[in-house]
Amino acid sequence: MKLDPEQESMLNGELGQAMSLAVRTLVEYGKAFGAQRLVPIKSAHLVGSFGALPYRAYYKILDQCINAGLKVKVLTTINPRPGHDLNLLNRIAFVRQNYLDHKIQQLGVTLNYSCVCYEQVNIPAFGDHIAWAESSAVQFANSVLGARTNRNSMLIDLCSAITGFTPEFGYLLDENRHGKILIKLKINRMDPSALGFILGRKVINKVPVIEHYDFSRTDLKNMGGAMAAAGGIALFHVEGLTPEAPDMKSAFAGSSPEDTITITQDDLHSIQTKQPDRAELVVFGCPHLTYEEAVDLSAHFAGKRIKKSVWFCMIPEAKDRFEKTDLYQNIRSAGIKVFSHCPLSSLTIQLRRKQVVTPSGKLFYYLKGAEYSDMRECITISGAQ
Amino acid sequence: MVILQGRGVVSGQGCGPALVTRMPVNFAAAFAGITSIIPGKRAVVQDRHHELFKKNLRNTVLVFPTCTGSTFTGMVLMQVMHDQEAPAAMIVQDADSLLISGTILAEVWFKRGIPVVEYNASDLFDKIRTGDTVEVRGDTGEIKIY
Repeated sequence: MKLDPEQESMLNGELGQAMSLAVRTLVEYGKAFGAQRLVPIKSAHLVGSFGALPYRAYYKILDQCINAGLKVKVLTTINPRPGHDLNLLNRIAFVRQNYLDHKIQQLGVTLNYSCVCYEQVNIPAFGDHIAWAESSAVQFANSVLGARTNRNSMLIDLCSAITGFTPEFGYLLDENRHGKILIKLKINRMDPSALGFILGRKVINKVPVIEHYDFSRTDLKNMGGAMAAAGGIALFHVEGLTPEAPDMKSAFAGSSPEDTITITQDDLHSIQTKQPDRAELVVFGCPHLTYEEAVDLSAHFAGKRIKKSVWFCMIPEAKDRFEKTDLYQNIRSAGIKVFSHCPLSSLTIQLRRKQVVTPSGKLFYYLKGAEYSDMRECITISGAQ
Repeated sequence: MVILQGRGVVSGQGCGPALVTRMPVNFAAAFAGITSIIPGKRAVVQDRHHELFKKNLRNTVLVFPTCTGSTFTGMVLMQVMHDQEAPAAMIVQDADSLLISGTILAEVWFKRGIPVVEYNASDLFDKIRTGDTVEVRGDTGEIKIY
């Protein structure tokens, strides 16, 4: 790998040992994938937001960086907190949360505490090189914004944030961003989250191109999150909608698809819960709900009472705005709880968990025992009347 | 003795009894749960959906197709290597970025990385059986099966 003089001096320890190790991590990581150089990034996004007890090696690295006086070099945001103050068990599981929060602040990270960093504070432009780690955010940045990031591991994200560089390979390069698999749709009632889940399962390590459908920005967020969780997809295109796919020819860079997969209504329906009556807790917001999503959803609950427990998990900044509205008071009176933590982590740490149903393909994939249902059915299950 | 030539992805040398699985491994799920904080049991697989459930990966040469799972994977792998309870080496058909990241992080920050060799060919699972003594050289990509 060819380093420039600045990178060379960082590697040689002229800015201290912690900085040298961070650069070396990126050099070794890049070398393993044939990168020729480290390129500057516009922003970073970290996943290390859970102050869980066993992550001792992570805390050692954080301490080493902070003791050396290092700060993030570029705009850096971070994932949601884990719901550490929800109950006693969570307080024990995430006993290092206050320590971690303090360290993250010392590093100069922007404390957005959301996986949906790209709606407010960390919005990359088309073609920007970035180094993000949250799989749903990586997906959105690559696919919907046309920025360029690999699906980086936790701590690789930190090394990029404090050095300001990422190795140039994978999704940073044109040749790896072209479509490989054509996705045809035979669907009369779209469910973006279910479609994402099914695609995640069917398309392994290839870039899918979905034939035109007029997905909203929210649809793309929820579909992408499910796709990234259920498989490893970090980039997809939608014909005539996403920025690198104005038409099929450019999406596939003039080549023919390696394979064509048709997704039917039956495929989408296959993950739908067969036992909606068993549901006890309906969770909305994985990835986090935006302000607009919360407002739209609330229309179904305002002025009513719900029969099941219902959670909204929102971007903290959006939750702050939402709390000032009458609509918020209305849905609180309906019985809905509004949080800004990560529902996956808080619900994982429970002795006896309520039966969860969710319209999130991502939460459905990760939370053991959770059931999936589309948005409309989840609202029905909530029993608002 | 059989020698296979793979691609060395992370250098170093390791030797141990092979533990072979044809199922992709999700390390974030494997090394989660309460036993992952008990010394000596940190590399016991906790993922009940996996055929290696309850197996201790410590000091084995783990042979598997690829790794799956969240971007926590690199940190989880680094932690188990930091605790010196990791496999002695890994042989993988498709070395993905999360697996490599974990090993590199452990090596660079704690000098405790383990060798990783990528071996693409499909005869991998015919040539190595669980229990075989296997030596892995991460610098040359050489795999020796005794």
